[in-house]
Amino acid sequence: MTTNATSALPTYMTAKGFCLTSGFWMMVATFMGLLGATELIAPDLTENIGWLVFGRVRPIHVNLVLFGFVTPGLLSSAFYYVPRLLRTELYSEKLGVITVLAWNFALVTVVVSLAMGYSQGREYAEMIWPIDMLIVLAFTLVFINLIMTVAQRKEPILYVSVWYVCAGIVLTAVTFSLGNVIWKPNSGSLVGIPDAILLWFYGHNVFGLLLTPLSAGVAYYVIPRACRAPLYSHTLSLFGFWSLLVVYTHIGTHHLLQVPVPTWLKVISIVDSVAMVIPVMAFLINIWYTAKGKLGEIHADIGAKFVFTGTIMYFFVSIQGSMMALPDVQRVTHFNNWVVAHAHVGVLGFAGMISLGGLYYILPRITGKPLYSRFLADFQYWLILIGVIGFTVVLTIVGLIQGNAWLNGETVYRILPEMHVYYVTRASIGLIIFSSAILGLYNILRSIFFNPGEIS
Amino acid sequence: MYFPYFITYMAVGFVISLVVFLWAIKNGQFKDQKRARFLPLEDELEPSVAKVSTFKRYEVYTLLFLALAGLAASGAVLVFSLLNANI
Ligand code: HEM
Repeated sequence: MTTNATSALPTYMTAKGFCLTSGFWMMVATFMGLLGATELIAPDLTENIGWLVFGRVRPIHVNLVLFGFVTPGLLSSAFYYVPRLLRTELYSEKLGVITVLAWNFALVTVVVSLAMGYSQGREYAEMIWPIDMLIVLAFTLVFINLIMTVAQRKEPILYVSVWYVCAGIVLTAVTFSLGNVIWKPNSGSLVGIPDAILLWFYGHNVFGLLLTPLSAGVAYYVIPRACRAPLYSHTLSLFGFWSLLVVYTHIGTHHLLQVPVPTWLKVISIVDSVAMVIPVMAFLINIWYTAKGKLGEIHADIGAKFVFTGTIMYFFVSIQGSMMALPDVQRVTHFNNWVVAHAHVGVLGFAGMISLGGLYYILPRITGKPLYSRFLADFQYWLILIGVIGFTVVLTIVGLIQGNAWLNGETVYRILPEMHVYYVTRASIGLIIFSSAILGLYNILRSIFFNPGEIS
Repeated sequence: MYFPYFITYMAVGFVISLVVFLWAIKNGQFKDQKRARFLPLEDELEPSVAKVSTFKRYEVYTLLFLALAGLAASGAVLVFSLLNANI
């Protein structure tokens, strides 16, 4: 690991870089979300401003949340805990810094190209080919650094967090390439239904094989440490890991149950969506039993508090997801804001919370100073919690209104007035989340650069 | 035609997973699980910053309420959808 010439202590440059990346892009991403939500209640707001129309703002928001805010936050923790769990040093801090720079460069190109209207029009795979390649490169660099760290480890046993993060990175690099059809640079897509199948196979894996394993990795590290208790069962955690690989890898077609895709694919996706309860509960039982009787410790550590709340959200989003994969339920919930509610519980409530939790847990450890402001972090926690619950309630109601209306053959425009008030509430909640992101970035910046706290 | 892509992906995924799994068995990754539980703790632990057990009651109740409300809402929509499904 790159060391400080004077102290020979790790510099944690990579972890710090990813912390800053996550904090900054969370702010931009949530602003884009807020802008999009505002456009839904005031469609003329950005009239004649081509690069800010909803169709461009939405993919910028979604991709920045996934690849700008949540993933870098989870990676910042990974770059801290992987070397520690393996009792070694990070393979190359220099490579890590290059990765951070490449990652941010890719994000800038994502924003600029999407705003300019360069889009392949496939959800989560909007980016054009050169940017796809940049993203694959960034993931490859992360993987090289982590796998080489594993190779030089002094601890023979790989703790479950290491399994999760390495698998998450490899699987994402592969499924990202496949889902973006990188062998067809011009279109970035196949044709017709096969394209939809491939796209959703990848799209689901963004949550299942990137955000979920990386979040699980952070939770498995932070919770035992914060509780000062060993993990309830490492065997159970490995069982959860391998069953996740078996079950999660091919349930993407549950996004296409209303589409004429082959029935066998739908059946596999539905059965495995329900079977997801196995890896989910293996993870949750393990974490919750580890924390049993230790909620005081969790509450005392702001990072652990975020992480633990994320695990509760994981319970909800997964149970809800398994139900949403049932065709009868999906007749009501598909193609409306119900899914958007689910998406926010998953990405913000579960993965986003754990990402922030990991970040706040490691910040004092990588800077050697206490967090700049525990109060601000706590405040941000409550803003996000209220925001996620608010989104869930409001969007679920709108979803049910839409779902029922369409099921009953109602014309779309006739229910728009009914939805308006909820959309206004939703935009206000967006403002809460955006404000929380500003507080978060300020706290991260002060903790890293202008921290008056005593060096510990 | 998407089958070739799928079959290739599944085959590659399966082979990689199998190789890694077999490596894990051979390498003793599934042994010594008792010690593995303690791996995160073996690092030096900082002194407790916690005024432990001050987990404020109202926070527990709020979280519990949110959890139950979420569960109830999910249950209700399941029942609702099934009752309304035109099977
Ligand atoms: C057991 C676990 C889960 C299952 C079975 C599941 C199931 C589903 C299903 C069936 C849909 C499609 C709904 C529709 O279009 O009608 C969906 C959408 C979605 N899920 Fe999940 N989910 C699970 C966990 C998660 C997690 C953990 C996350 C986030 C980290 C997540 C994020 C999303 C997002 C963002 C969408 C929206 C996709 C879109 O249409 O753009 N899900 N999920």
